Amino acid sequence: MSTRPLPEPLRLRLRLTKKARARFLSHAEYSRAIMFAARRSGLPLEFAGKHRPRLKLSLSPPLPIGVESGGELVDLSLVGYVPAAEAKRALSEVLPPGIEVVEARLMSGSDKAVGKLIDTAAYLVSPPEDAGTPRGWRDAAVEFMSRDSVEFTRVQPRRTRVVDIRKGVHRLDVEELEGDGVTLALALDDGVAGTVKPWEVIEVLGGMAGVSMEVLKGSRITREGLFSRRGDRLVSPMELGRRGAAAPRGRR
Amino acid sequence: MSEQFPGGVWERLEPLLLEVERPSRYLGGEWNAPDIEEGGTRVALAYPDVYEIGASNLGLAILGEVVNDMDGASSERVYSPWFDMEREMRTAGVPLFTLETHRPVSGFDIFGITIPHELTYTNILNLIDLAGLPLHARDRSAGPLVVGGGCGAANPEPLAGFFDLFALGEAEESLPRLVELVGLARASGWPRDRLIAEASRLDGFYRPSDYEVAYNPDGTVRAVDPVPGASSSRVKTVVDLDRWCLPRRPVVPSCEAVHDRVNVELFRGCVRGCRFCQAGMVYRPVRERSASLVVGMADEATALTGHDEVSLCSLSSSDYTLIEEVADRVGGICEDRRLALSLPSLRMDERSASIAGGLAGGGRGGLTFAPEAATDRLRRVINKPIAESDMVDAVVCAARAGRRRVKLYFMIGLPTETDEDVFEIAALVYRLRDAVRAQGLAPPAINVSVSTFVPKPHTPFQWCAQDDMETIRRKQDELKSGLRSRAVNLSWHDAGMSVVEGLLARGDRRLGAVIEDAWSAGGRFDSWSDHFDQARWREACDRAGLDPGFYQQRERPLDEAFPWDHLDLGVTREFLAGEYQRAMRAETSPDCRAGICIECGACERLDRAQVLKGRWP
Repeated sequence: MSTRPLPEPLRLRLRLTKKARARFLSHAEYSRAIMFAARRSGLPLEFAGKHRPRLKLSLSPPLPIGVESGGELVDLSLVGYVPAAEAKRALSEVLPPGIEVVEARLMSGSDKAVGKLIDTAAYLVSPPEDAGTPRGWRDAAVEFMSRDSVEFTRVQPRRTRVVDIRKGVHRLDVEELEGDGVTLALALDDGVAGTVKPWEVIEVLGGMAGVSMEVLKGSRITREGLFSRRGDRLVSPMELGRRGAAAPRGRR
Repeated sequence: MSEQFPGGVWERLEPLLLEVERPSRYLGGEWNAPDIEEGGTRVALAYPDVYEIGASNLGLAILGEVVNDMDGASSERVYSPWFDMEREMRTAGVPLFTLETHRPVSGFDIFGITIPHELTYTNILNLIDLAGLPLHARDRSAGPLVVGGGCGAANPEPLAGFFDLFALGEAEESLPRLVELVGLARASGWPRDRLIAEASRLDGFYRPSDYEVAYNPDGTVRAVDPVPGASSSRVKTVVDLDRWCLPRRPVVPSCEAVHDRVNVELFRGCVRGCRFCQAGMVYRPVRERSASLVVGMADEATALTGHDEVSLCSLSSSDYTLIEEVADRVGGICEDRRLALSLPSLRMDERSASIAGGLAGGGRGGLTFAPEAATDRLRRVINKPIAESDMVDAVVCAARAGRRRVKLYFMIGLPTETDEDVFEIAALVYRLRDAVRAQGLAPPAINVSVSTFVPKPHTPFQWCAQDDMETIRRKQDELKSGLRSRAVNLSWHDAGMSVVEGLLARGDRRLGAVIEDAWSAGGRFDSWSDHFDQARWREACDRAGLDPGFYQQRERPLDEAFPWDHLDLGVTREFLAGEYQRAMRAETSPDCRAGICIECGACERLDRAQVLKGRWP
């Protein structure tokens, strides 16, 4: 792709999906898929390192394996000008199935990278229809949010410890569906400020609503968006710096 | 998407994916993965190890494209499921499936399994079993033809009972003929037996049941005779590399694979004549690919995959006659696209080191050389007569090019080896380091990797004994005490694995029962040190009443009949015997690229001439 050289690199910010089969990719595999696609796209990419060139990119915080998302964010650095729509088209042609470009935007290279911006993730959780009652879920949500602290035993490969997940939960709404089911809308710490995983909240909440983890395993979880908190507003990094548009997405 | 294919297992597989480590191993749908059309002759090509190992295999990538380029045929990939997935599949009753359409392998027409090395034998049996097919060829009356191939087919005899056919040599041309025959068989309504019989008459195919083995009272082979009416076709096939510029669109593995780069073959075959090396004997004659085709393949494959590294590969890449030109042209492409270029398998001399030292992105990692033996005498025995001054030049050159690591491969247990030869490994490593210092350069870190010699069929050392466990361990201990320097890092092969490899490498059909026993006792992934269990193999030999030492530690008389004698891979037994005798006298043999034919037999028997694109120095 022939382009005009730039005095300083531009930031190409992309919003991507990670759906269908791509939801089974680990974070490292997903990031690999994007780097390979970026090289295939022919975009004028910026590389770091002299001997062993490495593609410069910044990714939003890892998505748990198996969870679908419509709002993953990636920053690539461009050393030549390409219109955002053209960059979107070039990448769309070379991304593997399940990873699609929803939105692309050019920003100044001096803007903060997504990896350093994001602190909040919005999730939608749909437990199996027969798991608990709407009333049970609502009561559990009220109880959860009214507590000062909620302890959770976090098991990690190298250590197990008890953490307080309450402060990392910024929103917990129960929406009733037609029939008997509910959808839980969560806004959780994710990224620079620490991470609370959706499964951790579901496990505690399920315990309060009297639904076992065995049943809850069948829940469908999607990550709806990634945000930066500004006071009590959630701002999408896609909108940052855009005039009159600090849209509080994820708050319906 | 495989969900659309009737009979696929995706819906049953999907819930299992969250129960296993690395679900990406089973997903398929990678970039450049072929689109499969329904119908036609269906081929499943399997690598008997886990996805990230098998995905790097060049042979299967080539053959997959060969079949997918045919009209009315398609090829899909299969890998061994890891322990966790095997457990889930067996519990849920999910049979072995392909990655492209997730259809059960049992419904395919051809089930091709490559045989990379001896320690995959249990995984091969596991693949056949997971596919839901009877393990023994004689018990199969339906289902796909189970066909073995790859370098392990040089002596397929221990696996003879499990395969319907073996492909000998390079299958770019023979596999399409088999695929066409399968189509004809279906159109003509041939029964399975008739199809296998007809297939055994194709060039490059060997049906093991066409031969009967008789044994002497002392356990040695008396004769391997064709049964009445058997085909005499058991000569390997070779191809012209300029006609087969594949793979064109390599599949991009969804996770990091062992050789995570674009691999472009420079040439096949090697006539350096190292006497321990099976590949150097069975892939003859040398056939180089044209430089412009190599450059074109590197150009296209990097653009189509997005890989960040290109490797120009062969059995000895610096021996390619136009290596300077190709390294320069491919290096230019790499510089433009910010890719790294690597040249594995370098001869240990200054010329090779200076070519490799100047490659694009060369700052990464080190250079690897294989002196194999530390004394001049032993290097003459194995016919790898590299002068020590050349080794010094290579290491100095690497240090001067700024390489911070040099890896050296040595072997212990080579024929005629003495204690001095083993001690000298440490001494040579230190001499090389000191030579770099003497030039006023910072010596690179030296990684010394010591493997254990395993005598292989179709090599001049097929008559030799292999060291026993105790001897291997003693030599490894000597090395460990000899190489205690912070700048030198020593690694070695598990002695037990080498012994089992040695047992199977020159095995006969009686070892089939041993492999089956080791597999039933839970043997899987034997080449993974965490999962290898020598006791399983020892017990299996005991139960079969076979002495592993008979196969592994016995020096064979020159006139002993071997289980693989009836398979013609080009080089003649007379040539190998002559080389064996020269080895025992520490006499070297020349490289025939210099112009003097040493009558190995490959060109005449396979009716192929050596192909060089430039001048041999």
